[in-house]
Amino acid sequence: MNLRQTLKIAFKSIGARKGRSFLTMLGIIIGLASVITLVSYAKGETQQMMDYLESMGTNKISVDAYSYQENINLFDDLYQYCLQMDTLVNGVTPNAYYSGKITFGAKSSYTMDYSPDLYLGGDQWSVCNNFTIEKGRDLTYLDIQENHQVVVLGADAATAFFDYADPLGKTMYVDGVPFTVIGVYAKKDFLNEGYTLDNVMVIPYTDSRVLTIANSYEVGSDMTNFVVSAKSAEATQQAVTRLDSFLSGLLGDMNDPMNNKGYYNVYSMNDSIDYATEASASQQKLLGGIAAISLLVGGIGIMNIMLVTVTERTREIGIRKAIGAQRKSIIVQFLIEASLLCGMGGILGILVGYLSTAVYCKLQLGYVVLPDASITGLAFLVSVVLGVVFGLYPAIKASGLQPVDALRTD
Amino acid sequence: MLIELKNAYKIYNEGEESEVRALNGVTLSIDRGEFAAIVGSSGSGKSTLMNILGCLDIPTYGEYHLDGEDVTELSDKKLSFVRNKQIGFIFQGFNLIPALSARENVELPLIYQGLRASWRETLVEDALSRVDLGNRAEHRPTEMSGGQQQRVAIARAIATHPPIIMADEPTGNLDSKTGAHVLTILQKLYREGTTIILITHDNNIAAIAPRVIRVSDGRIVEDYRQEVDWL
Repeated sequence: MNLRQTLKIAFKSIGARKGRSFLTMLGIIIGLASVITLVSYAKGETQQMMDYLESMGTNKISVDAYSYQENINLFDDLYQYCLQMDTLVNGVTPNAYYSGKITFGAKSSYTMDYSPDLYLGGDQWSVCNNFTIEKGRDLTYLDIQENHQVVVLGADAATAFFDYADPLGKTMYVDGVPFTVIGVYAKKDFLNEGYTLDNVMVIPYTDSRVLTIANSYEVGSDMTNFVVSAKSAEATQQAVTRLDSFLSGLLGDMNDPMNNKGYYNVYSMNDSIDYATEASASQQKLLGGIAAISLLVGGIGIMNIMLVTVTERTREIGIRKAIGAQRKSIIVQFLIEASLLCGMGGILGILVGYLSTAVYCKLQLGYVVLPDASITGLAFLVSVVLGVVFGLYPAIKASGLQPVDALRTD
Repeated sequence: MLIELKNAYKIYNEGEESEVRALNGVTLSIDRGEFAAIVGSSGSGKSTLMNILGCLDIPTYGEYHLDGEDVTELSDKKLSFVRNKQIGFIFQGFNLIPALSARENVELPLIYQGLRASWRETLVEDALSRVDLGNRAEHRPTEMSGGQQQRVAIARAIATHPPIIMADEPTGNLDSKTGAHVLTILQKLYREGTTIILITHDNNIAAIAPRVIRVSDGRIVEDYRQEVDWL
């Protein structure tokens, strides 16, 4: 009996039991597909989180500070201090946010689906937030000092107000106060839609006075949050230490309960990236665990259906032996049958897994993630080996019986 | 002698309280070209005897020579050759593989013999036509009547042209008319020179056999030849 005939018998056997063959494969298909999808999704989400954090700007130091002393302009002091350590830092900017009605012609931020964020910044705002100018010019030191009523737009904010027209030189209004558009930043956030990092506008922080006068309520007159951009992860650590000692000189010791000069807190954004990395690693572990469980459940399903067929197949093996099949041919037939079944199930499972990964990630993350080859391979191997072992088990057991004992099984 | 069984025992749970002696010292010879009916009530040991004669089981003690070869000493591979080439089985419960069509069931022993596809086809057609089943060849056993299934089983048994046909209660699951048809086929095979061993509990069926071997409590109690009207 040659291999071709054995193959033929195996194919016939699979084809003749379409329902059960499909159920067997279904276990493998579901197990594999869910492992691939879950792990790939976890990977994609982690990647997205890292990309997002990086586009927000790594090596950022956030400084919260306010002073109880009338004669101190904290930002000016910080600005000067940062200039002194220009080997460590790129710049510093107030990090303040103004919510008001922004209009241009008939367009109003109030009627937009995603209204742009308006920041009050210094001339180093773009450096600190990883923006580069694409059109026109950035804010300058003079703009800040002389509180020029100018605005620089993020790419998406520019599109929101001007579509594809040139915004340079146009006048926009913030709560009725006019601002001239002097520049547009290059687009940097390609991951999100709607609330993107590019849906921003920045005006000199000194314009808060203008807005305050115009609106008769206080607008950001005391900046309390600043962002310092460091040159590297190492520089970040050094800059944090130096800023800490500088601010403690200015605002007193935070550990002293009698201190009445002010309050400050310096922390590095790298800490939050570390935290995010840690969080995503544990998330990946969790999803990996879920995936392993689904593979296990799929495996038990395969096992189950293979073992359930033992009785019927034992009888079949008895018949085959009675009409002259050798033990070897029976084992080879069942091996081929189980391998074909599990192999086909495995390939289908990978296809379904890739498809569901693509669809699920496109829906959840907005872009397609390609599943990891090693995960795919491992999951394939596990499910196929399980299937083959438990498909072969009845054959090995029953083919060793006397034909009459195998036939007696009902 | 084609079949020579010497002092054969089949003992289950030997030495225990529940010990059962299905065969209790059987000596039996059947010559080439004989038609022998092994008769006995249920539990008499006749099926055990057939299983051993047909190499589906081995005796606990005793010798069994089939065509001069000691079967109890054979390897799995040689035993499967014997089952394949020497013996054709017809069972009471047909024992067809439900997943395969009638044709494929009949073809199976030929595949195990390693024959070429074209030669197999000839033999399958021949076997099916000898049991008048040519037109139902593509049906599954589940789509057939009991009589048709038993004829498929007979076709499978004779496809390899074995010298011995063993039929274990072949009419047991059939009505009298289809049962008679099956017996007619056995008679025809006998006339063509095949050795027939027919196991039955029914004395009316045993009446067609030129030789009757009566079994009771695992022993042969009677072994005689008789005149039959169809010869």
